[in-house]
Amino acid sequence: MTAATVTSPARPATPAGAPSSARRRRPRGTSRLTPGRVALYGVLVVLLAVFVLPLLFALSGSFKPRADIFGEPLRLIPSSVTLENYTNLLSSQPFWSWFAMSVGVATVATVVSVFVCALAGFGFAKYRFRGKRVLFSVMFSSLAVPFAVILVPLFVLLVKTGLGTPWFALVVPWVAPAFGIFMMQQYIVQSVPDEILEAARIDGCSEFRTFLSVVLPLLRPSLGALAVWSFLQSYNSFLWPLVIVSDVNHYTLPLGLNILFSSENRAIDLVLPGAVLASVPMIIVFLLLRKQLLEGLSAGAVKG
Amino acid sequence: MSSLASAAPTAVVRGTTTPPGAAARRTLPSAATQRAPYLFIAPFYLLYVLFMIVPIVAALFLSLTSWVGLGTPEFVGLANYGNLLGDSSFWTAAGNSGLYVLVAVVLVVPCSLLIAQALNARGLRARDLFRVTYFVPMVVSPIVVALIFSMLLDTEYGLLNSFLHAAFGLPGVDWLTDPSWARASVSFVLLWRWVGYLTIFFLAGLQAVPRELYEAAELDGAGPVRSFTTVTLPAIKPVTAFVVVTSFISAAQLFDEPYLLTGGGPGESTLSLAMFVYRAAFERQQFGYAAAAGVLLFVLVFAVSQLLNRALQIGRAA
Repeated sequence: MTAATVTSPARPATPAGAPSSARRRRPRGTSRLTPGRVALYGVLVVLLAVFVLPLLFALSGSFKPRADIFGEPLRLIPSSVTLENYTNLLSSQPFWSWFAMSVGVATVATVVSVFVCALAGFGFAKYRFRGKRVLFSVMFSSLAVPFAVILVPLFVLLVKTGLGTPWFALVVPWVAPAFGIFMMQQYIVQSVPDEILEAARIDGCSEFRTFLSVVLPLLRPSLGALAVWSFLQSYNSFLWPLVIVSDVNHYTLPLGLNILFSSENRAIDLVLPGAVLASVPMIIVFLLLRKQLLEGLSAGAVKG
Repeated sequence: MSSLASAAPTAVVRGTTTPPGAAARRTLPSAATQRAPYLFIAPFYLLYVLFMIVPIVAALFLSLTSWVGLGTPEFVGLANYGNLLGDSSFWTAAGNSGLYVLVAVVLVVPCSLLIAQALNARGLRARDLFRVTYFVPMVVSPIVVALIFSMLLDTEYGLLNSFLHAAFGLPGVDWLTDPSWARASVSFVLLWRWVGYLTIFFLAGLQAVPRELYEAAELDGAGPVRSFTTVTLPAIKPVTAFVVVTSFISAAQLFDEPYLLTGGGPGESTLSLAMFVYRAAFERQQFGYAAAAGVLLFVLVFAVSQLLNRALQIGRAA
C-alpha cells in the first residue's frame, strides 16, 4: 500500500505516455501546421478560387438584370436578383429542343460506344491471336489522327451519301473511340481474373455469352467512367456539329448557345442562363460519378 | 458499387505484376475461341475503316483537286500544296498552333505535375475536394468557357479590367483585341481548362509509386529535389509519356478555344491550323485547299506522335 503510493507518482507512466502517443499519431497526422503546410494549403486554395470563381461569376451574372451584368461586374452577390433572363431565354429560344437534341445524341452514342469499347477491349485483353500486336497498334495510333484531316472528306462523304442527318452523323462515326478501347483493355487485363473465364468456358458458355454475363458485370466501375467520358465528349463537341448540322431544328446546345453568343448584340443576358442550364446537369452528373471517372480515366495510363 | 469503384486503384498496382496472357496459354484453342477475338474487335475496325481510313484516302484525293463543293473536282496535282507553302495565312496558323503545342507541353504539363505533386503530399486534407474541383473546367462545354472568359476579359465591361482599375488604377488592357494579349488569353484558357484534367493522370501515377522507394532514397541521403528526379520521374514515366502525347495531339488540332474566344483574331493572330482548314472549306468553299492543309497537319501530328510513342515507349500494352 505504502509502496504503491510512493512509486505511482514516481513512475512517469501517464505524463510520458500522452506525448509519446501524440508523437506517434502526428506523422499519420491531421494537424501538423508547419509553415510549409500553410503555404501548400494557401496555394491549393488560391488555385481553387482560380478554377471556381469564373464559374461562380457566370452563375451570379445569370441572375442579374441586363444592365447590372455590365454595370457591376465585380459583384459576386447580385444587388438585385431576377429570374427574368431565364424566362426570356426559355420563352424566346427553343432551349429545350437544343437540350433534348444534345442529351439524346449523347445518350445513344454513349450506350453504343461503351458496349463497342468493352467488347474490343476484352478481345485485346484476354485472347491471343494472329496479328494482335499489329491490330492493337493500328487501333492505338488512330488516337494520333487529327480530326481536321477527316473533317472535310467526312462531311463530303456523308452529305453525298445522304447520311448527313444529325442522328446518324453525330452518333455513328464516334461510337468506337480508341481511347475507350485502350482504357477498357487496360482495366480488363488488370481486374478480370483468367480463372473466371476458364470456369465459364467449362460450364459451356459461348465466348460472347461469357462476355455478356461474366465480364461485363465485373467491369461496372470502369464502364461508368467510360460512360461519363464519352457522354461529355459528345455533349461538349462543337466543331463537328457546327459543320454537319445545318437545320436549326436539330441544333445541339453548343450550336444554339453559339448563335446567341455570336449575334450582333452579344445577347449575354440570354447566353448566361443558357450556359448555366447547360452546365449544371453535367457538373452534377460528374460530381455523382467523380470517383469512377477520375480513377477509371487514369487507371490505364499509369501502367502505360 | 462504391466498393467496386475503390478496387480500381489497387488494380493498377496489382496489374503491374500480373503476367499478360496467362490464361490464353492455358486455353484449349477451339475454332470458336479462335474466331471470337476477331469478332469482338470487328465493330471497331468496321467503323475505323469507314470513318477514318476512307476519309483519309478521300482527303488525299481531294487535296490534289480544285473543288468548290459542286460539280466535279478538277485535278490540279500538287498545286494546293505549293500554294499552301506560299500562303502567309497558313504559316501564321502553323505558328499559332506551334505556340499552342508549346504552351500545352512546356506550361500545362509541368503545371499539372506540380499540382499533382502538391496534392500527393502526405496527410493532405480535402485532397478529393481539390482534385475534383480542379477537374470541373473540363466538364464545362468549350462554348460556356469561351462565354465566361469573353465576359471576364472584355476591355470595357470585363471583370478583370474593372478589378485592375479599382485596385491599382490601371488603364484597361485589350485582353482579346490586342494580338499579343489575345494569344496570351487563349493560352491561359487552355491552361485553365486542361490543367486539372492532366493532374488526375499524374496524381494516379504518383500514388502508385511505392513509398519504400522514397524511404530508400532518403536513407541514401537524397533531398526532396534529388528524390524527385531519381525516384519520382522514372517511376511516372509511362504516365508522363501518355500525358505529353495526348496534350500534344489535342493542342496541335485546337479549334474550339480560339474560334469561340477570339474568332482567330484580331486579324489572324490567334488563327489555328484546324481553324484554317475550317475557314478554307466552309467559309471559302476551297475544299481541295482545305483537304491539303488537313493532310499536312495529319502528316505532322502523326509523325511526331509516332516518334514520341517510340521514344517514350507507350501503346505496347498488347
